[in-house]
Amino acid sequence: MLRPMDLIAALEGVVGSDRVRAHPLDRRVFAKDAGVKDGPVAAVVFPESAEETAGCVRVARAAGVPVVPRGAGTGLAGGAVPIEPSVMVVMTRMNRIVEVDEQSRTAWVGPGVINLDLSRDLASTGLHFAPDPSSQQSCTIGGNVGTNAGGPHCLAEGTTVAHILAVEMVTADGDIVIVGGDHPDPVGLDLRAVVVGSEGTMGVTTRVLVKLTENPPAVRTLLIGFATVEDAAATVSEVIASGLVPAALEMMDRAMVRAVENYVHAGYPTDAAAVLLAEVAGHAVGVDAEADMIARIAADNDATMVRLAQNDAERALLWKGRKSAFGAIAQSAPDYYLHDTVVPRTRLVEVLSQIYEIGERYGIALLNVFHAGDGNLHPLVSFDAAVPGELDRVMAAATEMVRVSIEAGGSLSGEHGIGMEKRDLMGLVFGPDDLDAQARLREAFDPDGVLNPGKILPEGSRCFDRAPTIGAAP
Amino acid sequence: MLRPGADHRGGSVTTLDAATRRLLERLRPESVPPEVGDVPVVAPRRVEEAAEVLAFAGDRGLVVGFVGGGTQLDLGGRIEPDVWVSTAALNRIVDHQVEDLTLVVQAGVPVADVEALLADHAQSAILPETPGAATVGGVVAAGVSGYRRLRYGPTRDRVLEVVLATGYGKVVRAGGRVVKNVTGYDLSRLAVGSMGALGLIGEVCLKLWPIPRGAATVAVDDPEGALAETYRPLAVLETEDGSAVYLTGTPEQVAAQTEELGGVGEPGHRWPDPIDSPMRFSVRVTPRHLAGAVRMIRAAFPEAPLRAQHGVGEVTFGVEACDLERVVAVRHWAEGHGGAMVILAASAGSLPGMDPWGAPPAAHGLQVRVKEAFDPHRICNPGKLPGGL
Repeated sequence: MLRPMDLIAALEGVVGSDRVRAHPLDRRVFAKDAGVKDGPVAAVVFPESAEETAGCVRVARAAGVPVVPRGAGTGLAGGAVPIEPSVMVVMTRMNRIVEVDEQSRTAWVGPGVINLDLSRDLASTGLHFAPDPSSQQSCTIGGNVGTNAGGPHCLAEGTTVAHILAVEMVTADGDIVIVGGDHPDPVGLDLRAVVVGSEGTMGVTTRVLVKLTENPPAVRTLLIGFATVEDAAATVSEVIASGLVPAALEMMDRAMVRAVENYVHAGYPTDAAAVLLAEVAGHAVGVDAEADMIARIAADNDATMVRLAQNDAERALLWKGRKSAFGAIAQSAPDYYLHDTVVPRTRLVEVLSQIYEIGERYGIALLNVFHAGDGNLHPLVSFDAAVPGELDRVMAAATEMVRVSIEAGGSLSGEHGIGMEKRDLMGLVFGPDDLDAQARLREAFDPDGVLNPGKILPEGSRCFDRAPTIGAAP
Repeated sequence: MLRPGADHRGGSVTTLDAATRRLLERLRPESVPPEVGDVPVVAPRRVEEAAEVLAFAGDRGLVVGFVGGGTQLDLGGRIEPDVWVSTAALNRIVDHQVEDLTLVVQAGVPVADVEALLADHAQSAILPETPGAATVGGVVAAGVSGYRRLRYGPTRDRVLEVVLATGYGKVVRAGGRVVKNVTGYDLSRLAVGSMGALGLIGEVCLKLWPIPRGAATVAVDDPEGALAETYRPLAVLETEDGSAVYLTGTPEQVAAQTEELGGVGEPGHRWPDPIDSPMRFSVRVTPRHLAGAVRMIRAAFPEAPLRAQHGVGEVTFGVEACDLERVVAVRHWAEGHGGAMVILAASAGSLPGMDPWGAPPAAHGLQVRVKEAFDPHRICNPGKLPGGL
């Protein structure tokens, strides 16, 4: 067990003194992600290679201090927030696109590469990285791997796990290993499939082999207004049931549309009760027919307006509205809490009305912007955390919203992850044997609780006693 | 058949008592693949029953083999089970949410039945196109994908939920019946291709895709060129009879893409027949090396039937008689190009000294620990996976 100063000196021995920070201000900055909670930081370290990362993990392990991997800190579930004093291993300096194989449509990238930068850098190749979380201007590929991030275009393309072929990572023992591979169906258990989405509890990602997706030759983007949320949701269900697979199918309610329109002036209809942003992408001959079909289904469901983006600039503006939603709500209150649950698409209307009812009952300001095509709901509560009791009220409402989603056959999280935020709600979805199996898996990767302990699984998930996490050792 | 004291791979030295044997005989399903011989076969009707069998086997150190349609029994290390657990009685389609595009199905349901049901709704689970007797559970456990993976991704991308009877005798559910989910560790995807190493996959929920109305198969001379020029075809396949691009979309789009390829389109999708040679191999390389792999295989085995998936990076080929030296040369080439050559089928002893999988995975220590976490008694298909796991 090292004393705090010795820990810092040992980390400096690995990466040099300029890349270890322990000033109270640094500790405060790295104590939280984009969610609402913070935690205790022992030191912050910025490795620049897999070897340095491995050295940091070994030092922390020897010191009995947990490791919490961190990308840009845009996560919303507290996945990168330490629960006990931890070494924050910040991967943002490993931000090189190492190698692009245009013919195989793959690229090895550093975990610190920013999601949108990757697609921008690849523009000349006609390829892009498909997952596009709303935070894509700042979130990192390593963070996307950690949370199995989603985004509007995951409706047609699948979430991050479908776009990750291999992960190089540092294990809890401080070894550098690669899971997955560059050829189809690498032999052995597909560990890559569980490492993606493991929120830094199975390894610290140091390099990622991503699958790249061909840019569509043609895209059509539609903005559709409705007089009721029910009409919009019915349109979503009918579009999916019709056999179309839109590239994206996003919904916003009136409160969100007004906030966004006031913020970016994208021409959203502020008198509509709900707005759909629908996109179809593909061969030039196909997209017009598909856009027509969506417009027809919307008209059959009493759409009050349908607008087809006439050019790339207009399309970009419509998307800017959608992706600025979380910035826009800062106008109404200083803090926000963003939910993330999934329900079967056919139950959208019913669950939404229950969510509105919960919001009313708790007297909270509720806005909705979500991936309707996936049934992935994102009710958003704007509030002021400085008001005593306000956060508790918001969290109590959040738990009720999660419950109604699960009762409708849904799940706890679609793309943000469990982290610490929903850890103690896991029992709503899984029984003791299910949680025990997940705990066994985690233990196989990290028997001593070195990597991001206290996340995802509630206390006591393992059905028989296990050793305390190293951070809890005397 | 059990031989007391015999050196089974799982270390089993137990024999079955007469009463247990009689019970197992009663539970034997009507039809079993010939490969299981006269070893006892149990066919649980519920996943809970499978878990009980595994708990029983774990207590006694009995080695358990899993069997569905019996189409993949040759894949991986050879096992000599004390008892087979068959999915023949796990044969229900549990739930088809047509509008949500999800399907819950028990493991023993044949792939062909599932796809026939879905076709009535213009949907597909994108399972292998020429499945024979393969079951859904078998395809998931063996990690087998169809040709359409170029467009829709491998089978793994469609497994939303699994119910597993683990090697330690519990029923475990993971994932969920929604199309997007990050709730907890993704055991569902881990189960895909796990070859029974974690336990028996009893039930799965699959994500479905709508099948567009337009479909055509267009013969081409240059598959790599066609792949580069065509926007997201379903598949680009090369066989011993030539190459073809498989298109899908609106009828107008398919017509336009057919014209762009300059070929004559045949309506519908004519998938190549499965290779029925007694020895079959799968070469897997990064897509850039696929054409090279085809050339290599053609040079080594000029007569061999082959199925090359351009853009995916897999070539399967069949051989009538053993030619160890050439087979080794193909594996050497594949591994030298960062890939693998897996033996899909071979008669016992025909390829002495050749591991069925080739080079073991890089993170072997983690593989061992995950296997042990789910199968602490090493009773579930022991030795099937690379590295003798």
